[in-house]
Amino acid sequence: MTDPAVPAASGARQFWRRLRTQRAALVAAGVVALLVLVALAAPLLTAVEGQDPTTYHPSLVDSARGGVPIGSLGGASADHWFGVEPQTGRDLFARLVYGARVSLGVALAATVVQVALGITLGIAAALGKRWVDQLLSRFTDIIVAMPLMIMSLALLAIVPSSFPRPVLVALVIGLIGWGNIARIVRAQTLTLKELDHVAAARLSGWGTWSIARRELLPGLAAPVITYAALLVPTNITVEAALSFLGVGVKPPTPSWGQMLTAADVWYQAAPQYLLLPAGALFVTVLALTVLGDGVRTALDPRAASRLRVGTGRRRESKAAEGGTA
Amino acid sequence: MNGFTGFVLRRTVAAVATLLAISVIVYVVFYATPGNVAQITCGPRCSPEQVHQVARQLNLDDPLFVRYGHFLQGLVAGQDYSTGTSVQHCTAPCLGMSYQSDQQVTQLILAKLPVSLSLVGGAMVIWLVLGVGTGVLSAWRRGRFSERVLTGITLAGTATPVFVIGLVLMIVVCGELQLLPFPQYVALGDDPEQWAWNLLLPWLSLALIEAAAFARLTRASMLETLAEDHIRTFRAYGVGERSIVGRHALRGAFAPVIALNANNVGSAIGGAVLTETLFGLPGIGQELVHAVNVVDLPVVVGMVLVIGFFVVLANAVADVLYAVADRRVVLT
Amino acid sequence: MIRDSEAPFREVVIPMRQPSVRARRVAAASVSLVLAAGAAACGPKDNDAKGAGGDSTPHKGGTLSVLNANPQQDFDPARLYTSGGGNVPSLVFRTLTTRNRENGAAGAEVVPDLATDTGRPNKDATEWTYTLKKGLKYEDGTPITSADIKYGIERSFAPELSGGAPYLRDWLTGAADYQGPYKDKKGLDAIETPDERTIVFHLNKPEGEFPYLATQTQFTPVPKSKDTGTKYEEHPVSSGPYKVVRNENDGERLVLERNPHWSAATDAERKAYPDTIDVRSGLDSSVINQRLSASQGADAAAVTTDTNLGPAELAKVTGDKDLASRVGTGHFGYTNYIAFNPKTKPFDDPKVRQAISYAIDRSSVVNAAGGSALAEPATTFLPDQKSFGYTPYDLFPAGKAGDPAKAKALLKEAGYAKGLTVTLTHSNAKDFETSPEIATAIQDALKKAGITVKLQGLEENDYSDKIHNVKTEPGFFLAHWGADWPSGGPFLAPIFDGRQIVKDGANFNTGLLNDKSVNTEIDAINKLTDLDQAAQRWGALDKKIGEQALTVPLFHPVYKRLVGKDVKNVVISDWTGVLDISQVAVK
Repeated sequence: MTDPAVPAASGARQFWRRLRTQRAALVAAGVVALLVLVALAAPLLTAVEGQDPTTYHPSLVDSARGGVPIGSLGGASADHWFGVEPQTGRDLFARLVYGARVSLGVALAATVVQVALGITLGIAAALGKRWVDQLLSRFTDIIVAMPLMIMSLALLAIVPSSFPRPVLVALVIGLIGWGNIARIVRAQTLTLKELDHVAAARLSGWGTWSIARRELLPGLAAPVITYAALLVPTNITVEAALSFLGVGVKPPTPSWGQMLTAADVWYQAAPQYLLLPAGALFVTVLALTVLGDGVRTALDPRAASRLRVGTGRRRESKAAEGGTA
Repeated sequence: MNGFTGFVLRRTVAAVATLLAISVIVYVVFYATPGNVAQITCGPRCSPEQVHQVARQLNLDDPLFVRYGHFLQGLVAGQDYSTGTSVQHCTAPCLGMSYQSDQQVTQLILAKLPVSLSLVGGAMVIWLVLGVGTGVLSAWRRGRFSERVLTGITLAGTATPVFVIGLVLMIVVCGELQLLPFPQYVALGDDPEQWAWNLLLPWLSLALIEAAAFARLTRASMLETLAEDHIRTFRAYGVGERSIVGRHALRGAFAPVIALNANNVGSAIGGAVLTETLFGLPGIGQELVHAVNVVDLPVVVGMVLVIGFFVVLANAVADVLYAVADRRVVLT
Repeated sequence: MIRDSEAPFREVVIPMRQPSVRARRVAAASVSLVLAAGAAACGPKDNDAKGAGGDSTPHKGGTLSVLNANPQQDFDPARLYTSGGGNVPSLVFRTLTTRNRENGAAGAEVVPDLATDTGRPNKDATEWTYTLKKGLKYEDGTPITSADIKYGIERSFAPELSGGAPYLRDWLTGAADYQGPYKDKKGLDAIETPDERTIVFHLNKPEGEFPYLATQTQFTPVPKSKDTGTKYEEHPVSSGPYKVVRNENDGERLVLERNPHWSAATDAERKAYPDTIDVRSGLDSSVINQRLSASQGADAAAVTTDTNLGPAELAKVTGDKDLASRVGTGHFGYTNYIAFNPKTKPFDDPKVRQAISYAIDRSSVVNAAGGSALAEPATTFLPDQKSFGYTPYDLFPAGKAGDPAKAKALLKEAGYAKGLTVTLTHSNAKDFETSPEIATAIQDALKKAGITVKLQGLEENDYSDKIHNVKTEPGFFLAHWGADWPSGGPFLAPIFDGRQIVKDGANFNTGLLNDKSVNTEIDAINKLTDLDQAAQRWGALDKKIGEQALTVPLFHPVYKRLVGKDVKNVVISDWTGVLDISQVAVK
């Protein structure tokens, strides 16, 4: 993230060409697309299964044994593909796919907020007057130095309960987690500012906005996207942690974080209840990470040369030669 | 040394300003949170008159800025508190008394801090070894089986909330295999060996979460360095791969790893709430969450300031380390 | 510090399983934490636990470990809010009377402790006289006097030491404005100590249940010369079988050792088998249960006084014979219910309240609360125990899964033929009491009767503030109530006595019921000093109030707790519902 970026002037086509050459990234992109599709199509998928995420099925759990699902594999059957939730008997498949909506939605929305705030404040600090930079940098220091989990506990308690909860959770995670991205953007912008073509643009009297849009954003894309790809999975787990602390998305709305929180104690009695959301989260994080790497490589021309070094002989490095460098 | 003195001075001033700003924010935010502090302190069945008496005793009826003034006064000059039968002095810097437990906040912090520092210190060693190790391996042996396994483990660590990893680790290691006793905090001063054994699982759980970020960062920085011209020159001259990776590429990863580490150490001091909770470690994070829930403002402010202090300190130490590692860096 | 609630007794009520972050919230709260108890064999109602295994004769000696979620933050007898004197506190604090340390219903009786009897009332029960036993001593060997008991009660009025139950303030003549001995040196005239062994209480109205009140820790003697105000809890002067030798981090770790000046001859209730009691807290509830089931090393002689088995753990334990034999089952007087505010629409119409009563699916509510082993469906407001005067009734029979047809018919009569949309308020706390899971179970059941339920989940503090304030009270919410002592009085009066409506503070009469005939009957029962007769009348009153459908009783919780494998002599009374730590032996 510290490399002086080179403007990625090569355009979208080149980006796609470079991305296509990385098999792992393509697989990851496929997985992410599938996850998004599942989340979007949740009502359809559950309709096919013939279930919904909120209906109780008391007859499917053993009330005398704490409500453990009746039958092997957590009560999995043709009616309930992934079995049912302990205690309530709600359909786990339905909860998992609806949970994907909330978890992915909240994490993506929070990331958008973080990136938007980070870019805006980072650029403003780097291009602004000295006092603006001082003020914004100190403000960033404060945000970074505050225990975020604690502040979100307090913030979530202040807002009236009528406010839509998933939106609120996304906003709170977004509002408290932009500090590092702002620092990265500021540092990067300071480097870019000194580059000839940016300096030239400044001298020829372009406005700050045009400079930011035309000259800086392309150079910022690589580090920001890389960092954002890391932020999405982090945000998913932050949502889970907030659920654990009791201030996440509210029931009966399912989320993966909430499922994990409820399921950890069931690890011995009903393992699939824990393994399903944990597995879903793992696959998501893995896919996003690999995809993030791929996108970065495709965006940053220098990466191509990097791919040729190292002792591992990589198939993609050969293909990447078709790129720049 | 003049440069260094100047650095320390500037940083101190900035830190004090940052911490004061944080204390103001916390006061305002918690002033707005719901929860009748006097009723919580007094108990649910207290009569309105009793609640009023408690509110008066805790100065809760004063306007926000007056209460903040009291807080600043305590910091600078200390404060006196009545125990009912006598007067107790809280010496400066006094962070006040807990509304709920009649304890001085400074003493509470001193009691909890060793626990948090033990947890984060040990975990840091593990996440650095595991994270940087995985990073080096994956830069050097890209695509090999060992690299994939290690990367998988670190990513799984990041992807799984600590309350799941920790609990499963504990059930398996302590409950089923009985390899270790269930963790229970023992002070380092009391018994260093037990201290380490009891903290082993908490360290691992916390470290697993952080390791992946270090692995990725190390890998990226190393690849970047490996791509630089002087490395190609070394290679061309036939310098061994082991030496290139070990001596040169790793050095390039030093600065970003230090920066990330500073960030993580600082925030984990107060942010390892879930780890502390799960393993029953009476640290800062656990106490802070508790204080937030009972709207115990003096404790919240005190703890948040201590955490802020460590974040600022960790960043300053990181800057010094940069400068030591790279003479070109000037401390500002 | 009790924060959430209407439930005076949080200690016992610590949820079956909650992440301890939450446990501690509640705890913070719980002044009392106190009582709670570990668990073990010999549940009063279940016989699923064997006596105590092998050589079941208890012997003196050894160290008993207590593994708890919540620290004993308050250890001052003035601040503790306990039912019957608490569990760990009762090892250090003796009171005028105490609970009978026996299994089941016998354990719900009140018996003498420091006093020679449970109290001698005057004719109309407005004056109660107690005489102390001879030879009572503190841990330092000095004698316990009646003046110390008077002083102990007086200091519980100090705002610095707030937290106790409201009864002393409400009952003692002229006590309403008293601010404790630190501000008001004159003391309380309502308590007389004519000599060193006699103490007389003057009440402003007849209270036949005064002997129950005298079990609370405020009736512990405190020597005035040793009082250190808010610091007293760090080293309270013991009158019981154990004294505090270590109190670290505000109750996080407590170590109790024998008090050499305590004499078993003056104490028929506490067995005090172990030499040392080591209380460790701040542990995660699932970890506590893991440790008790593993029973390794010192954990073999461990109990918990605040952590129940949760549903997931129960599912595991029931499949394991050895573990199942180490589970103790108990019943504490406690009711979880739906409360209506009849001043709001549409709940001002009794037909709507009745329709909801009919539509409730108690089996899914019970499942959400942990299943049939951890919760029993309730159709009465009073707990189903003899000492409360339990009189069975089911005025709006909903069967096991609700009667949506009957509910629809009633709604039609009320003018809601096309259905109805209402908001159910609950706390977001992750305990099983008023939790989101129970709210969603109700939401799901009412759907069948054409009632759309919107959920309003509030943060715990917010929830507690809102439901206990007559100005902000929601129309339809989840609530719970626990017994201050095992009788109908403290169960019904705070909730249904019209004169206990508080307009400018914490109000517990959430139905805002002010019914003259109910008020008169409460006064009449309070005059009775024959507690059996009183119990019968409370039971009848409960049924009468039930007709108004101001609440929908949901379930009574059942407490199941594990003990370590070396723990013997587990006694669980209906008073506390959890193992009594004063009876436990580890040898």
